[in-house]
Amino acid sequence: MTISQSSFAFVSDLARRETAMLYDAGKEYLVEARLLPLARAAGCADVDAYVTRLRIDQAERAKALDALTINETSWFRDNAPYQAFTEKLLPDVLAARAHVRHVSIWSAACSSGQEAYSLAMLLDQHLPAGWTAQILATDVSPTMLARVDAGRYSQVEMNRGLPATSLVKYFSRVGSEWEVSAELKRMVRTQHLNLAAPFPLLPTFDIVFLRNVLIYFDMETKRDILQRVHRIVAPDGYLLLGSSETTLDMDDHWGREAHGRVQVHRPATTTRATTATAVGWHPTAMTGA
Amino acid sequence: MHALIIDDSRAMRSILRRIVTDLGFETLEAGHGQEALDHLEAGRVPDLCLIDWNMPVMDGYTFVTKVRENPDWRDVTLMMVTTESEHGQIVRALAAGAHEYVIKPFTPDAIVDKLELLGLVQGGVPA
Amino acid sequence: MSTVVEPTLTDVQMVVEEVWNSFLGGEDPLVVGAPGEVPTGWSAAVTVTGAWEGMVSVELPAGTAEEVCRRMLGVEETHDEDVADAVGELVNMIGGNVKSLMPGPSVLSLPVVAAGRVARSSDTTEVCRIDAWWAGAPLQVCVHVHRGH
Repeated sequence: MTISQSSFAFVSDLARRETAMLYDAGKEYLVEARLLPLARAAGCADVDAYVTRLRIDQAERAKALDALTINETSWFRDNAPYQAFTEKLLPDVLAARAHVRHVSIWSAACSSGQEAYSLAMLLDQHLPAGWTAQILATDVSPTMLARVDAGRYSQVEMNRGLPATSLVKYFSRVGSEWEVSAELKRMVRTQHLNLAAPFPLLPTFDIVFLRNVLIYFDMETKRDILQRVHRIVAPDGYLLLGSSETTLDMDDHWGREAHGRVQVHRPATTTRATTATAVGWHPTAMTGA
Repeated sequence: MHALIIDDSRAMRSILRRIVTDLGFETLEAGHGQEALDHLEAGRVPDLCLIDWNMPVMDGYTFVTKVRENPDWRDVTLMMVTTESEHGQIVRALAAGAHEYVIKPFTPDAIVDKLELLGLVQGGVPA
Repeated sequence: MSTVVEPTLTDVQMVVEEVWNSFLGGEDPLVVGAPGEVPTGWSAAVTVTGAWEGMVSVELPAGTAEEVCRRMLGVEETHDEDVADAVGELVNMIGGNVKSLMPGPSVLSLPVVAAGRVARSSDTTEVCRIDAWWAGAPLQVCVHVHRGH
């Protein structure tokens, strides 16, 4: 059963807009192959019927986009944001939090945890003695959270973007996979969280990584998420979005700073209180599971 | 920029050649460590070596140690591309002077990633 | 008498799938678990010696071996030499990864390739077998250990 031209055009357009992926003429079979399992799961007779559903069903659209996006799992994805983290964000936070000596980071939509553990590696390398750090890794998928807790990655995943020196320092072989060290796991805590819903009680974060996930939501939800994130980022904190994402046209509660190729967002509070008193209490008792 | 591809498998050399040629490298090939050394000794010193471990005559690990013994070749980037994937083997290779390590099987992206980490490639073109 | 250590079916399957998907996947995924009589074509094996001793072999029909060669070498026309080389590299990658699953240290041999069946010595036992289907034909990956080792 082949996908109709109009269905293919819709999917092609959606993919290009939402994920920048190009499904040109000739790739119909790929769209078929990637959407058919979802179509079946959704109870649709075929891909065309499923595409009709996609036009109105937000949740299915997100799943379809996921399936259409070639899995970009990688360590230190895009590299530049992690460079910005090491060169600017972390040093700033270290200067601002000397009174508590704790860094609080949120990896929102953490997927299988490569972002969280990449950050943990950098913290291990750059956090001064006597300091603690906690990375909260959240996702809407319990399967993904279990993967983060397990901290195991396939050989093919290990080849992507990870310096060999870090591989040997932070990982050990378990069967055909590689498992992250206990030291790094101690820095990462997982929690179930649906970005589109009201947040559970969360600590104030110094740095938030909210990368490549807003694309799955409509404009209104994006604005809403950013507003709720704004409330839990420290006034002198940082927000990082995906390389092609920006808050510019979405929300005026954020200002932007450039660090090399990276756009970093900061709460645009009119009265930015001094660091020593404004940040307040850090729940350092938030130990991992 | 020049890359020297060292592997006893023609198929693997072909795969690697296509990947690095797409990135703008000119390539040389060798079927084992001694043939590779012959290139360097003849003055054909590459910017990058992609090195298999298990080869006849001279294996990749030995090749790495020989290159690192020669100060004239200190700017050559050495990257292992091998099935040797035990933690201990990777430690050994890095200790012997390899700069990077790719485990077979790999995708083209993996090679590009590593070359970017090494600063030899930027945004898909030679740095 | 020491217990024979062997790789798990899951782990070997993961290895074979990763090798296939990296170089041969694309539009034809490898489908595991569909046993079929593999018509004699090409086979290749590597042996592992050291803390663990065993043999890893691959058997492919002629057409499949030629297709593997075409894709890996990026050519249209295949010659026996090249087919042997490609099949040898395939078993090198699978065998090398199986070796890393087992206790070390150990050494991987260079591949032995044959048009036909690679002979196995009579004192080996098959401990693991992956039957798979790819590009319309069956293939087989086996792990053998020495009996009584």
